[in-house]
Amino acid sequence: MEVWNLLVGNPVLNVLIALSHILGGSFGLAIITLTIIVRLITWPLTKRQLNSTKAMQEMQPKIQELQKKYGKNQQKLQQEMMKLYKEAGVNPLGCLWPMLVQFPIWIALYQAIMNALATTPENLLNLAQRLYSWGIVNQAIPLSSQFLGLDLGQTASANGSLGLLLAIIVGGTMWIQQKMSQAPAVDPRQESTSRMMTLMMPIMFGFLTFTFAAGLGLYWAVSNIIGIIAQYFITGGWGYLKLRSPFGPTPVKGK
Amino acid sequence: MKQLKVFFVIVIALLPLVLVSCIGASQSAGGWSGPTVEDGIIYAGTRDGRVVAINVSTRELRWDWPDTAGLRSLIYTTPIVHGDLVYVGTYGGQVHAVTLDRGTERWVYPRTGSIGAIVGRPVVVNETIYVASSDGRVYALDTTYGDLKWKSEPLADKLWTSPTIVDDTLFVSTLDGHIYDLSLETGQLLGWSFEAEAGFTSSPVVYEDRIYVGSFDRYLYAIEMGSNASIWKFPQEEPAGNWFWASPIVREGIVYAGCLDGKLYAIGAETGERIWEFDAEDSIVSSPVLMDNLLVITDESGTVYVFDVSTEFGDEAVALKAISIGTSVRSPFSARDGLVYIRGEDNSIYVVDIGKGEVVDGWPVSLATEK
Repeated sequence: MEVWNLLVGNPVLNVLIALSHILGGSFGLAIITLTIIVRLITWPLTKRQLNSTKAMQEMQPKIQELQKKYGKNQQKLQQEMMKLYKEAGVNPLGCLWPMLVQFPIWIALYQAIMNALATTPENLLNLAQRLYSWGIVNQAIPLSSQFLGLDLGQTASANGSLGLLLAIIVGGTMWIQQKMSQAPAVDPRQESTSRMMTLMMPIMFGFLTFTFAAGLGLYWAVSNIIGIIAQYFITGGWGYLKLRSPFGPTPVKGK
Repeated sequence: MKQLKVFFVIVIALLPLVLVSCIGASQSAGGWSGPTVEDGIIYAGTRDGRVVAINVSTRELRWDWPDTAGLRSLIYTTPIVHGDLVYVGTYGGQVHAVTLDRGTERWVYPRTGSIGAIVGRPVVVNETIYVASSDGRVYALDTTYGDLKWKSEPLADKLWTSPTIVDDTLFVSTLDGHIYDLSLETGQLLGWSFEAEAGFTSSPVVYEDRIYVGSFDRYLYAIEMGSNASIWKFPQEEPAGNWFWASPIVREGIVYAGCLDGKLYAIGAETGERIWEFDAEDSIVSSPVLMDNLLVITDESGTVYVFDVSTEFGDEAVALKAISIGTSVRSPFSARDGLVYIRGEDNSIYVVDIGKGEVVDGWPVSLATEK
């Protein structure tokens, strides 16, 4: 825990508080700015992922050909698809890595939000032990947790209808982002799994937003929106989102 | 491939739950009410939200309050004994008056709802109890019936300190770094205020027309009453190693201030110059206490240090005694008749005999035991 705080937790915490002070005491703007900084730092990974997505989109005609050719032999179809991916230098799981890389940032940010807002005297005392000696950091305490009518230190559920709206925005933007990047499945079994995952993740994150501090939900919402914008411009459009409706059949199967 | 993808998704979904459970465990709040000793009885708040009365000599629990778990709330304020009542403010935002002999509630303010979390210890003067609250107001209540005499206008988002009363004026410091003076009679602002560069959990201490208070900006301020500027800030060179969390005490021209950087500073009240300092093992969260010439401090790791302030120290003070109670301490402590009463973070009361330099035999007493 000490190593974690030293290397990740404390830097994120102090930068967040310093940003809040610089941005006129707005903790919400500090979270948004930090989100942009995080997205800039992870940009090389994001770009790689988006290029991979674009390549996958371009491979769709070939995949459909393979599907027609080996539709009855699933094992062969998988082998040929893997071969195709390998030749194109595409990793179908590549889209998950940027998300995994963001795990430590989520953890650090969640800790930072809960610690920085110091809702109890114990939290405030613990916070004192983790702050750098920078003047702007110490002068920024206590932070105001209010932002656009939300209490960022409270769960979204405790924020009433605005919290519900935040949860819907997080779930909705995550669904759009996933839909834009997720290649259509090649067989009906995969199709149902794929559809389940596409729905499960936004629902799960919407639920998590509803139960966690609203500040974390704000981070997820802004991060997703940045992701959608970046994806739109790099892959040149809405990707797979335009190919099919959320609950309808998959056009690529040609049925 | 498919299984791997599902695995990734599950990991992504579940990890936040894990992180929350980890954080939740490390930051559990339990309050840090200290003990008050009166007529051989210790009154203290417990980590499960009760006030207990324990006979010092027999260690027998006389009463605890409230009986019903649903009525309990975190307690950060040290109980106050006044007349035949014990007063305590709760983090749930109510002030309770409990009978001294039986521990039954005499009154509660407000009767329903909350005035905001109470963290700073209330003060009783002339049959009025003055309470600073997290709704940013100061409340004056009648000690006998709990009736509201006045409440101030909101002074800040939160007040986590004790009011300080001098003659007919009440001084209060705010979590956002202001000090205000109010009329003790009406609660109206008298017009003076001071703004520091950071917030206060340290209550203002008044000594010879000056206010001494520590701040989150790592400085201790000396302020002339009526002036908007500080007379001096300590340290005079670089800021201290951490916040001045606890209130200082002043005696015979010397300010004694504990700091979260683990140092106890003795500072000239007139000049703001360092007289000596002492490096404890851990952060100093509680205010120092003086018993005649003996200055007592505790650090967060649970060591009690005793100094003879009549001794001529050089730059570094030497503790007369250093006694470990073996558990973390954040609560204010009480010292009288050569004994120091401390509530540890393990929810036990420790009694340290300064003369013997040890925790008195038979203690600690667990406060966790139900009646």
